[in-house]
Amino acid sequence: MNSIFRAQIRSALANPVLQEALDANAKRRSEARQDALASLPEDWHTLRRRAHTLRAGIVDSLDEHLAEFIRQAQNNGIIVHRAATAQDAVDCIAHIAKDNQAKLIAKSKSMVSEEINLNPALEAEGFQVVETDLGEYIVQLRGERPAHIITPAIHLRRQEVGSTFQEKLGVPYSDDIQHLVRVARHTLRQVFLEADIGISGVNFGVVEDGTLCLLTNEGNGRMVTTLPPIHIALMGIERLVPTRADLAVMLQLLPRSATGQKITVYTSLIRGPSAIAGINPRQRHLVLLDNGRTAIQNSALREALYCIRCGACLNVCPVFREIGGHGYVGQHGESSPYPGPIGSVLSPGLFTAEEFGHLARASTLCGACKETCPVDIDLPKLLLQVRAGVGTVRKGQITTPNSPAALSLGLGIYTWLATNRLRFTIAQRVAGSLGKLFARSHWIHLPAFTGWGYSKDFPLPSARPFRDRFAEQPAGDINSPAGVNNPPETQFTSAVIHRTEELKATLEVISASARFAKELAALGGQITFCSTANLATQVMALLRSRDIDSVISWTQEHLPASFLSILISSGIRITHEAQPSIRAGLTGALAAVAESGTLVLPDGAGKPLVASLTPEIHIAILLEEDIYNNLEEVLCLPQLKQANAAVLISGPSRTADIEMSLTVGVHGPRELYVFCIKE
Amino acid sequence: MTHTVQLLITCLVDSLYPEVGESVVRVLRNAGIQVGFPRGQTCCGQPAYNAGLRSEARRMAEYTIRTFEATDGAVVIPSGSCAAMIRHSYGDLFADDAACLPRARRLAARTFELSEYLVDVLGLADLGARFEGKIGYHASCHLLRELGVDRQPRLLLNSLHGADVIEIAGAQECCGFGGVFSIEHPELSAAMLERKIQSIEQSQAEAVISCDAGCISHINGGLHRRGLRPRLVHLAAVLDAPSSIPDDPGSQPIGG
Repeated sequence: MNSIFRAQIRSALANPVLQEALDANAKRRSEARQDALASLPEDWHTLRRRAHTLRAGIVDSLDEHLAEFIRQAQNNGIIVHRAATAQDAVDCIAHIAKDNQAKLIAKSKSMVSEEINLNPALEAEGFQVVETDLGEYIVQLRGERPAHIITPAIHLRRQEVGSTFQEKLGVPYSDDIQHLVRVARHTLRQVFLEADIGISGVNFGVVEDGTLCLLTNEGNGRMVTTLPPIHIALMGIERLVPTRADLAVMLQLLPRSATGQKITVYTSLIRGPSAIAGINPRQRHLVLLDNGRTAIQNSALREALYCIRCGACLNVCPVFREIGGHGYVGQHGESSPYPGPIGSVLSPGLFTAEEFGHLARASTLCGACKETCPVDIDLPKLLLQVRAGVGTVRKGQITTPNSPAALSLGLGIYTWLATNRLRFTIAQRVAGSLGKLFARSHWIHLPAFTGWGYSKDFPLPSARPFRDRFAEQPAGDINSPAGVNNPPETQFTSAVIHRTEELKATLEVISASARFAKELAALGGQITFCSTANLATQVMALLRSRDIDSVISWTQEHLPASFLSILISSGIRITHEAQPSIRAGLTGALAAVAESGTLVLPDGAGKPLVASLTPEIHIAILLEEDIYNNLEEVLCLPQLKQANAAVLISGPSRTADIEMSLTVGVHGPRELYVFCIKE
Repeated sequence: MTHTVQLLITCLVDSLYPEVGESVVRVLRNAGIQVGFPRGQTCCGQPAYNAGLRSEARRMAEYTIRTFEATDGAVVIPSGSCAAMIRHSYGDLFADDAACLPRARRLAARTFELSEYLVDVLGLADLGARFEGKIGYHASCHLLRELGVDRQPRLLLNSLHGADVIEIAGAQECCGFGGVFSIEHPELSAAMLERKIQSIEQSQAEAVISCDAGCISHINGGLHRRGLRPRLVHLAAVLDAPSSIPDDPGSQPIGG
């Protein structure tokens, strides 16, 4: 085994802080995931097979889908760039930055940017690049790679985050998580407001209309795609879904698998640059990265391209649980941006099997990854392909298994023995006799260097194998079968099934608005039912109670009649533009989704997205008749499909990036009030 | 009607746990089944397959297919991972071999893991076996996740007379064996084994049932190294126990 990898494994196992963090991650993430899956409106296995099929369809004819996606995106006004390699992508982004005299770049989380080492490259060109996802920000300050694709700072405790902030930001030490989140909010708010460029990843590209879908909880993804004059989206060429209805399938699976949420707090749907003069972003670029993906598509590892980067396979992997994301190092000690089971397939596929092929051997093939995968990727099979060396083999190349020489030799001999009855029988007898010579008991104490002997004894081979004993077995009375009876009804149901049924039972049939209210409350939002007549009174009461005298608002034409004039006459100052000092934002809502407590806000003239983004308090006015049952209906609403940018909001902004402790109010609003008009 | 099955005993049971093999035979015969044992059988090829040595694995797989082609009836295997190897991986190994693939599929179609055969094919639940005391279950990974067999061994376990069946924490988590993994990655294997041993110790189970000799060797080997009582027991051994299992931890019927 590669000695650097082994050293990394040993150091991870000897690190009690890391072990505790990884245990907590495994436990909480899998529990949250189970609960979230139980809340699915349809059977999980059926849904994931649908997801598998639709991702397979994309990857099978990637060229055609990609061409159509690019055509649609360009029609929408997005400037599309294709990058064959990591270097091409870096050069392309640096070029855009230079052309626009950019200095400060705000980034939201993107695994592709980690893959191409974007930050160091841009910094070397003189740009200041700031990660804005809390976890990413912490690891950037520490000069580390993310330790998990969803929870980058999973390996750190609050004390380490406190020390990092003290050292790098010059703030007084604190290990209070709420305080640390406030420090990050304060520091990064300036970055959002001053950034010349925002760079984001993309969770899904929708082929039929060129939409970019981006999921975040903290609100930083919205900030970097909304506030700076230029937005650059970076995505792998394979992250496509055919239609918006298909997107709804993936949106039911991704957040549930990743964080155990029914839906992330913010689901941004981006089609093009702002169509309104004076409103950012003026330009949207899309950089589509290949960097080995086409090669994987043409190899036995093709299924790895179905991955939607939820990180669920990391959370259930017993090996990840021992070594964490930094443990997956290459031959030369550099860790791969993609850890865990999927990383042990992607890393050799994308960054050569010579460098990362050994990672595929660090698996028991227990299958927990496949069982958990929301797109049903057969990860054990892919790990075996990497082991066999056929993973990335293209036509005409020779396959070389990456088995260590001693193991190959041993198994070669074993194969020779096991393909001949006589040879096998003799070997069995030799083993039986040798065992007797060396062992004083039923066990052989093998030394540590044998691998097995590191932590366990080996059972003594029997001097009389089964094959010698079979003939001596009494034949039994085959005419009077004993114990044959009818099996009782299945007694065993797993804990998981029980849990699912309990949770399902609680979802009694209730009206869409009641369901919406319940889900919103569970997310930490507050809902007030009112009539048009008393809406203004209710909103004024809230504003007064919070000492608010000015709001960023949608314009009157998008709100109930004469609503704003009542507010103005009550002394409230109304603006329609981003102003950092204003504490409250007032919006309408195109629609809402009952099953996930989600509000739907498209942009457009008089409907600034910043009203629901930069203030601490977001107040939304919703008509009861606009509450739909499920996400798919809403995603296909014509007004939503036509918006240049839209956001689905599910509760106040939140993070769990420090010790997985839930903290509400990061970059987006920390309070969400919905006034639902019921006539 | 009398069924005849062919026993594929597996290399581990054959060489390390012949008493488990004897139990399998008795359990099947007591259920009225005629048991054949093709004497040419050796190893299904799983170690080579998992190591990535596909051509070696193919040689062993073809040898195994040939050995059983000459026989009739279901092939019963007292191991989830060997049964999964034949049912799922032989097809993968011979995917590009038009001559071997149908032969591999024919063998796969008649292959059953022991508990699966007893419960699903024979419709048995209570074999009249007895176990006094606390008993738990360790779900072997390939049995559970490749074959989807979990209900069957648990049903057989729950029907043991006198047994106090308990749930072992993390019963579905891998014990860290993984075949060649346990040799190539001793540190990782040891860490996973440690978790398994802790949960078994905490459960205070007197015996823990498994359907795989690999897990049994691994966990019992770890227990023995730590000076604890090896108590992983093959399912066949308890089903074959009219009264109780022997007390001697090293004695063969409890698998080590």
